Amino acid sequence: MQTKEKLEQYLSRCMDSACDFAEIFEEFEENEMISTLDQKVEKAERQIISGLGVRLYRGVQSVYGYTNEMTDEAILPLIDDLRAAIAEKAEDGAEDAAPAEKKPVVLTRVEYETRHPVKTDYRKVPLQEKAALVFRAEKAAKESDERIVKTTGKLLNVREEVQVSNSEGRLISDVRVRTRMMLDAYAKEGNIFMSGGDRPGGGMGLEFFEKTTPEEIGKEAARSALVKLRAKDCPSGRMPVVIDNAFGGVIFHEACGHALEATGVAKNQSVFAGKKGQQIAAPCVSAMDDGTIPNAWGSQNIDDEGNFQQSRLLIKDGILQSYMIDRLNGRRMGEASTGSGRRQNYKYEPTSRMSNTFICAGKDSFESLFEGIEKGLYAKKMGGGSVNPQTGEFNFAVDEGYLIENGKISYPVKGAALIGNGAEILMNIDKVSSNLSRGQGMCGSMSGSIPTDVGQPAIRVSAITVGGTANE
Amino acid sequence: MNKERWIERAKELGIDELEIYEQLTESRSLSWFGGKMDSFTTSRVLGTSLRAIVGGKQAEMALEQADDAQMDEILSSLAEQGRIVSSSDPAALRAPEKTDEVKSRKNFVKPSVEAIREALAAVEQKLLAFDERIVQVTAAEWSEEANVRRITNSLGLRIEEKGMYQIIVAGAAARQGEEIKTDYKVKVVEDLSTFDLDSFVKELAENLLGKLGGRTLPTGQYKIILEKDAMTSLFAVMSSMFSGDMINKGISPVRDKLGQKIFSERITVVDDPKNTDTLDVANYDDEGCPTRKKLIVENGVFTTVLHSTKTAMAAGTESTGNGFKGDYTAPVTVRPKNCMIVPGEKSLEELCEEMGEGLVITDLAGLHAGIDPVTTDFSLQCSGYFVKDGKKAFGVTLVTVAANYLELMKNVVAVGSDLEWSYRSIACPSVLFTGAAISGE
Repeated sequence: MQTKEKLEQYLSRCMDSACDFAEIFEEFEENEMISTLDQKVEKAERQIISGLGVRLYRGVQSVYGYTNEMTDEAILPLIDDLRAAIAEKAEDGAEDAAPAEKKPVVLTRVEYETRHPVKTDYRKVPLQEKAALVFRAEKAAKESDERIVKTTGKLLNVREEVQVSNSEGRLISDVRVRTRMMLDAYAKEGNIFMSGGDRPGGGMGLEFFEKTTPEEIGKEAARSALVKLRAKDCPSGRMPVVIDNAFGGVIFHEACGHALEATGVAKNQSVFAGKKGQQIAAPCVSAMDDGTIPNAWGSQNIDDEGNFQQSRLLIKDGILQSYMIDRLNGRRMGEASTGSGRRQNYKYEPTSRMSNTFICAGKDSFESLFEGIEKGLYAKKMGGGSVNPQTGEFNFAVDEGYLIENGKISYPVKGAALIGNGAEILMNIDKVSSNLSRGQGMCGSMSGSIPTDVGQPAIRVSAITVGGTANE
Repeated sequence: MNKERWIERAKELGIDELEIYEQLTESRSLSWFGGKMDSFTTSRVLGTSLRAIVGGKQAEMALEQADDAQMDEILSSLAEQGRIVSSSDPAALRAPEKTDEVKSRKNFVKPSVEAIREALAAVEQKLLAFDERIVQVTAAEWSEEANVRRITNSLGLRIEEKGMYQIIVAGAAARQGEEIKTDYKVKVVEDLSTFDLDSFVKELAENLLGKLGGRTLPTGQYKIILEKDAMTSLFAVMSSMFSGDMINKGISPVRDKLGQKIFSERITVVDDPKNTDTLDVANYDDEGCPTRKKLIVENGVFTTVLHSTKTAMAAGTESTGNGFKGDYTAPVTVRPKNCMIVPGEKSLEELCEEMGEGLVITDLAGLHAGIDPVTTDFSLQCSGYFVKDGKKAFGVTLVTVAANYLELMKNVVAVGSDLEWSYRSIACPSVLFTGAAISGE
């Protein structure tokens, strides 16, 4: 990391231009991945990602430059390129106010107490001991049933230090630590070969495995693979769907979350632009994006623009309360940042992103969700999905699904996809149970791939298009 | 970084062989929105990755600060990483090998910032003027990159290859009543001064407007054509089935099918990193192994498994020169490079005539989630248009297409002639299939 004096020098040089705001993001990330196959280490990889990004604003125009060469010889020309790029005449005439008097930037460090303390630093634990954690999960998977013929595992450990400084005089740092295990079990019976996985993680050190044991992870992966052995083709068409908790929240993440990011809203490229205060979901739906949950996978102390993470109430009783806003799009919208500016690393300019996003717990019992459904789909585990925020059209894959027949869970089905329109689906949620939990994922968008939690209690959607494989 | 010193010191610290892979990337991009420059990004990043062989086992590390002062710490960590590997698969680095080097046919001329701004402004104006239903140009962007990769190892390998690209991207939204549709287009631009902006805009605008008024279809079995872009994106996801790594691990759906018919006899798949029509020509893979042209599937028969050095050693065979990294931070994995389904004779229009009635799928969504790579069952959101009496009848949206990929690829009626590499390293022409399950209303 650069010294305060050096950063002041760089920022002052940035501000000696047509820009009205400058920011420097510095990053030093170490990560390690141990990969195993059938309780043998296949490889142990390490990465060090380290560099800095400089951003200048002029109104709502931004210029961004990044490098990993941390010397004046590399950084000063980069800053000068950006000063030149922002200096060029605004295309729609000189609408800029007269440039403010350029004073040297003086930084003041902002101190705070972390919300996400770490107990066991992975860097201090020998590789062999970490590999043993994965072996425990693989062993549990294999021992759970003789039809489990193969297992693969991964243990990911990340430690990311960031420092953000800007022309408003703010200098602030954060350390983000993450741990995640990814286990896949392969089940074989006759000619049928199926895989099942479990991928839990948290914003903490290796103490993660005190709460979620490797054995639990292994057994869950095996269970999921074994269920699929007896899965039949999934029927197609519009039908009621019960989506269970945890990673099931990917439906909200895709169908609604992305469209509430200022990235699309500020440019009127979202179905929810201009809808604040209006009903956008059924009255039983409230939803949050909370980046402050202690040690959660998608949490941070500060966002990647140096603002404190927040707990954001997005929807209350179906009414849209807030968007997720980064600094630049805040300017476009005339609103303050909500601490939602995130990026994969210094190679990306930040934009508004989710953190831990979930539908809040409701009052319906889990059993009542199935009442009255003659034929429907129970999506116990979801795969990933994607959305076009401008049209609201989304899709996602059902990883583990069951047919619902006459109000009861019937046989497992494979290969189902759910598609629909976000705005419509939110209005069609007619029951929300109370078993709220969250699941971990990586979310990809303009500013790269970032860790986010999705979550919800089990919900029922009255009608959704199910794309299945059965010919009917 | 003093490479010779690192290689020497590695030996002293118990590392048998060391490879230093460097990638220097310089990029520039400019985007336009609402009549003015929206953002400008410039970068210069030198990334290094190290690969060590320790007692026949491999260890990898990627770094962005390869300071000689950290040499001992980094090399010791690599040695520890290598020693923990318990898999019995051996690994090795490559000694220098000769190959006939070829060059991409692309001739890039770097434009001035002023020329880029003018072009992007023109794209925005032309799109908005094209049709009043086009209500917003969501993106108009120029991106260029020049990169150099250098591979140096303790066996005397010294390779340097250069790459470059320039692309223009435009996206737009069209509205008709309450309905909004979006589309985007990417083109490789060798020389912006002679680039035909009008046809670029026309193609994007016509595709976009064609999506308006789309409707869903009754659920059922339909004849389908996967139009070239949709066919390419699906094939790209499925191409991992030919990877020696997946086959060695026993999780590829074609793991025991070498020499057998896996696709229709109308399908031939060629992988040729030296294909000079493509954007990214590679004479060597990212381990320094010379690349060559291979038939992966010949008239439906699976003929070649793709290998890196490590997967080839495990399988008791030779590398096919397919050990590539995504970028310097990624480990070497088995990847196809400039891989295509060999095009046939018929245009897309002729395929539509041959189909008579059915669905042409132009877009597939959710490819990262909606495919089971082990069984090859897939169910994906798609859109496109319906064909009646051999002609385009109406747009189709919000339906899913589901099938088993291996089954689908056995049921090929005809392969189109419209292969286009553009910026891709995997490309397919449009293909007409006997049928697939479409789910709508």
